[in-house]
Amino acid sequence: MIGIIDYGLGNLRSVLGAIGKLGFQGSITSNPDELAQADKLILPGVGAFGDGIGNLKARNLIDPLSEIVTRDRKPILGICLGFQLLAEHSEEYGDHKGLGWIPGRVRRIDPGPQGLRVPHVGWNDFEPTRDCILFDDVPNPALFYFVHSFYLDTDAETAVGTCTYAVPMTAAVQRGNVFGTQFHPEKSQQHGLTVLKNFLERA
Amino acid sequence: MLRKRVITVLTLNDGTLFRTKLFTPDYRYTLNFVDAWSVDEIVMLDVTRGDSPDRQKFFDAVSTFAGSCFVPIAVGGGIRSLEDVKLYMDAGGDKVVINSGALERPELITEIAEAYGAQCVVLSIDAKQNGAQYEVMSHAGSRATGLDPVSWAQVGEKRGAGEILITSIDRDGALQGYDLTLSGAVAEAVSVPVQVLGGCGNWKHMVSAFEIPGISAACTQNIYHFTEQSISSAKKFLAKKGQPVRV
Repeated sequence: MIGIIDYGLGNLRSVLGAIGKLGFQGSITSNPDELAQADKLILPGVGAFGDGIGNLKARNLIDPLSEIVTRDRKPILGICLGFQLLAEHSEEYGDHKGLGWIPGRVRRIDPGPQGLRVPHVGWNDFEPTRDCILFDDVPNPALFYFVHSFYLDTDAETAVGTCTYAVPMTAAVQRGNVFGTQFHPEKSQQHGLTVLKNFLERA
Repeated sequence: MLRKRVITVLTLNDGTLFRTKLFTPDYRYTLNFVDAWSVDEIVMLDVTRGDSPDRQKFFDAVSTFAGSCFVPIAVGGGIRSLEDVKLYMDAGGDKVVINSGALERPELITEIAEAYGAQCVVLSIDAKQNGAQYEVMSHAGSRATGLDPVSWAQVGEKRGAGEILITSIDRDGALQGYDLTLSGAVAEAVSVPVQVLGGCGNWKHMVSAFEIPGISAACTQNIYHFTEQSISSAKKFLAKKGQPVRV
């Protein structure tokens, strides 16, 4: 069973639908015992960082999740906001402390001299920077769906690939059992489903 | 490189898909034509009229799509509050489209942006041409607001909208091309991505829209002689014309 962490934000149904399509059973839950028993966890997300962390706190999920992820080393996949929540800090509407399972800070995308449109919305190329099982059987380059105004600034040992929106931004990470994608694999057609499948089968 | 998007807009009345002409339901069709693999994004709007219409059939249709199309789905039609947003998102939406609700109460834009992030809010603006001017219309094009679409788009951006969907009411169903004056003016005035709707009759119209800086998505609704092949044929045509699209 795949535990989809319910913290009141995020397109949980889309994630559940995608893993169902891949033949896996998911459970949308905020019950720590159920999450502890799950084979793997997914932390989805559509929303604002402060609300995300606030909601995890309000549901008393931070300590149990930290145990499951950092002590028991259960594989977890963070998606979009869920991916950013894995980081140490965020500058989204104030300064927020994140889960801290991967190094780095979440910063606002700088429109720069070109006057980039923010949010970064749409299909963009994933460019791998090092091997990661999430991208097994995914062609290089491959397109994924991104929608975000903030990006994760992390180190080269954590990032596994980038996407370029005038400048390269972290598009996916792995640190041990902690995986994350800035893009939405559940919304990225066949390549996205492959990434999810790899997490479900190989992580 | 970020690709330009081709978006399919679906209007549903009491759970049934309709295309529209001049904002009036015109012709009924089925769900099967949406090419799940070529379309970049889907917009689903509930246009069921009435004071408190039953939206369950619409939500069921959204859930059906969410279960079979693994692309983003924007949902809207009648959203007035954060409680509404939750219902639309729970049905399977990834972001919401707001229009009259934001005109009635612009704070709604900020409330959604604060709770779900700006990227979750698409501000839809319906504009009608009046001589050389344009006017924002609310309630499915039926009520004049006195607002100018360019300044309303700027207000919407300031309040937290992550994208603007600009629709020409006059071009709806006309298949004569997008109103590039209107959409170009809006795109120039804001720094969020702009989607354009109303009037697409052939692939060249999409090329013309994408040649305007800041237009990042071309939406189609009525071009449904669109068969499964034709979204991908649109993409191939756009690619041949040098437009970065996901083929």
